[in-house]
This record gives sequence, C-alpha cells and structure tokens, in this order.
Amino acid sequence: MLGGGEGKDFAEHLASCESCRNEVSRIGTLWQSLDLLPLEEPGGRVRERFYEMLGAYRQGVASAEPRHAFHWWQMAAAAGLVAAGLGIGYAVRGNMQPPAEVSQLREEVANMRQLVALSLMQQQSASDRLRGVSWAYRAEPSDREVLGALVSAVNHDANVNVRLAAVDALRRFSASPETGRAALQSLSKQTTPMVQVALIDLLVDLKDPEAAPELRRLSGNETANEGVRQRAQWALERLQ
Amino acid sequence: MAEVSAGKVARLAVLFERYHRALFRYFVSMNGDREQAEDLVQEVFFRMLRYRTSYDPAQSFTAWMYQIARNAGVDQVRKRGSAQVVDIDTFVDRRAELVSTSPGPEESASRGQDLALLRRAMDQLPEDKREILVLSRFQGMKHEDIAEVLGCEVGTVKVRVYRAIRALEQIYFALEKEKAS
Repeated sequence: MLGGGEGKDFAEHLASCESCRNEVSRIGTLWQSLDLLPLEEPGGRVRERFYEMLGAYRQGVASAEPRHAFHWWQMAAAAGLVAAGLGIGYAVRGNMQPPAEVSQLREEVANMRQLVALSLMQQQSASDRLRGVSWAYRAEPSDREVLGALVSAVNHDANVNVRLAAVDALRRFSASPETGRAALQSLSKQTTPMVQVALIDLLVDLKDPEAAPELRRLSGNETANEGVRQRAQWALERLQ
Repeated sequence: MAEVSAGKVARLAVLFERYHRALFRYFVSMNGDREQAEDLVQEVFFRMLRYRTSYDPAQSFTAWMYQIARNAGVDQVRKRGSAQVVDIDTFVDRRAELVSTSPGPEESASRGQDLALLRRAMDQLPEDKREILVLSRFQGMKHEDIAEVLGCEVGTVKVRVYRAIRALEQIYFALEKEKAS
C-alpha cells in the first residue's frame, strides 16, 4: 500500500511504537480473516437469463425486459410445439415446408447454444472450459465454429481433462470430414497417453481409413507409451 | 468490451462468464438479498449492452462496470423504497453451514461462530464503509480503479479503506464482548 519512502518511514515508526505495532497486528489479522468468509455463488438461472437477454437483444428487441425472458428450453419447446402444429396444418394442406418464423426460432436457439459453448471455452478456469465443452454437445453438428473451438481445445488446452472432454465432444461432429482430419493431425502431435488413446478410439468410431498410416507409425514407435502402441495396433485391426 | 462497443455484441458473453460471479458477490455483500443480486447482475449487463457506445477503451473496464453496478444498485433502492433489512439469523445459519473443514467439531463450531460474528460485523458497517471493503478486499480492485468508481483521489481511497477496517474491528469486538457476556 505504501510507496518506497513512506514504507520506510512506516517501518521505522513501527520499530519504535508498540501501540502502533499492536494495531497493525490486529488489523492485519482481521484483514486476513475476511478471506475466510465463504463466497456466495449465483444460481443457474443467472446464466440462462443472460443468454436469453443477449439473444433477444441481438434479434433487435432493444426493450427486452430481462426479468421476464423465457428459459431457452421453453423457447425450444415452444418452437417444437409450433413446428409440430404448423407441420400438421401444412401436411393437411399438402404443403410440407416449415414456416420462416419457426426456422428463425430454431436458429436463435442454436445461436445461443453456440454462444454459451464458445464463451465458456475461452475462460481462464478449467472447470468453466469443461462446462463449455459440455455445451458443445448441444450445438448443431454443422456448427464449424464450435468444431473449431473443440479442435483448438484438444490441441492447445493446458488441462488434460478439458482435452479429453473435447475429444469426446468431437463425436457430435462425426459427419464432418474435418473431424477425422483434425483428430489425425492432433494424434501426431499429442504426447499425453490418455489423450492419444482417446483420439485413437475416436478414429476407430469414425471408421477413418486415412488413419492407418499414422496408427502403423505409432504402433511401431518404440519410444511411445506401451498402452498407446497396443491401442494403435488394436485400432489398425479394427479398421481393416 | 471494446469489441462489444464496436458492434460485436456477442462478445459480451465472454465478459459475462468472466465477471458475473464477482458482480453477484458485490451485490449480495451490499444488500444481502440473493434474488435482488441476481436481478441486478442482469441489469448491469443489460446496461453495458445498451450503453456500450459510451465505453471508453482508455478507461479501466472494471471501474466502468462497477460504476454501472453502483448506479443500478441505487436505482433499485429507489424503486423498492428503502434498503432491505438483512435477516441476521439466516446469515448466521448459512455461514455456519458453509465453514470450511477443520480438525475437530469444537474448533469448527468456534470458527463458525467467529465467521458468523465477522459476517454480522460486516453487515452492521455503514454502507459506504462496507462498499469500500467489498471493492478492495473481496473484489480485489486496485486503488486507482476504486478511486475512479467512487470519484475521489487514490489517497482518499487508502484512508477510507483504513477507516473501514478500523470500524469493522470495533463492531466485531463489540459483538464478541456481547456474546461473551
């Protein structure tokens, strides 16, 4: 708190003044005790309400009242009901095209999920990034931004649990050819055996024949972890 | 925030994830009401969105956010008529539940009571003193940022922090004496 000169004067005074020393000691103890007070955590509704508000604002509803916004799942359910009702109506009339309003609602829900996933995956806390990866499961399988964020997490996240969770979440995007390519590239760079095994399993699930050369190299690599080498050999047999 | 200000409003989500817990704790410390604190967190982010073009990138974002938070808190008090009275028993019970682990039940109970007393002492502090302790100790804000939020000099902030902790000490020891007698 005190700069160089002031700090020196203060220290010199303390050395000769018992009552000030006592005061500093008491106040210092009280100051440290404040750390022991438990921290309050907000409820889960805070996040839902924020993303509802942000979604509505982005749609141009500048006068959205945050307190009365719907849950995102209520919007999704409402969108589903509307879609079902309108779908029946259109089927009766022989027209199977969903109306524009329903498509717009679906798109808005998908956008919100994407926002949540991407925002959480950028946080400093590993548990927040893990939550972001779990939100990625709710993103659209065609969402390339979320896919890109997951691949980045697999390749660069400092926390091994986040990397493992991101590998698992890539299964959501199995239809995209980029997923297999990214998993293969990552396998050639990973050094953590658990993540290597998770990537090998993913490549087997994707039934990616392009993976064979890398798996062969890994199974014959004497410096690689024995468990990883065995898994790579097993994967080669599965892919044949 | 500069990106939000430039129109990329989706980026506000990154700020939300980073700051909403700290904001919530600030409001709960100030008014003791969780529901109100949650409403106020929403209000702060809504105002950040609405007034995003007024954000100056040269200014500390934290200071700007807490200025909005203070204004939102004041508006809320005006709307509701007066500050809410904190239910002290509820606070004491909740704090006793939340005390972290310690070697023995007696020590745990005693520590829980000390923390409960400390919490009561915080609640009995005048609002301006409680606020400066919350901003400096719990929110970990730099004195320069607190000075910007409160509209005063950095030296004044230091003096106010000192006076606040002295006042807390006096209330705490008075409560301890009351408990002992």
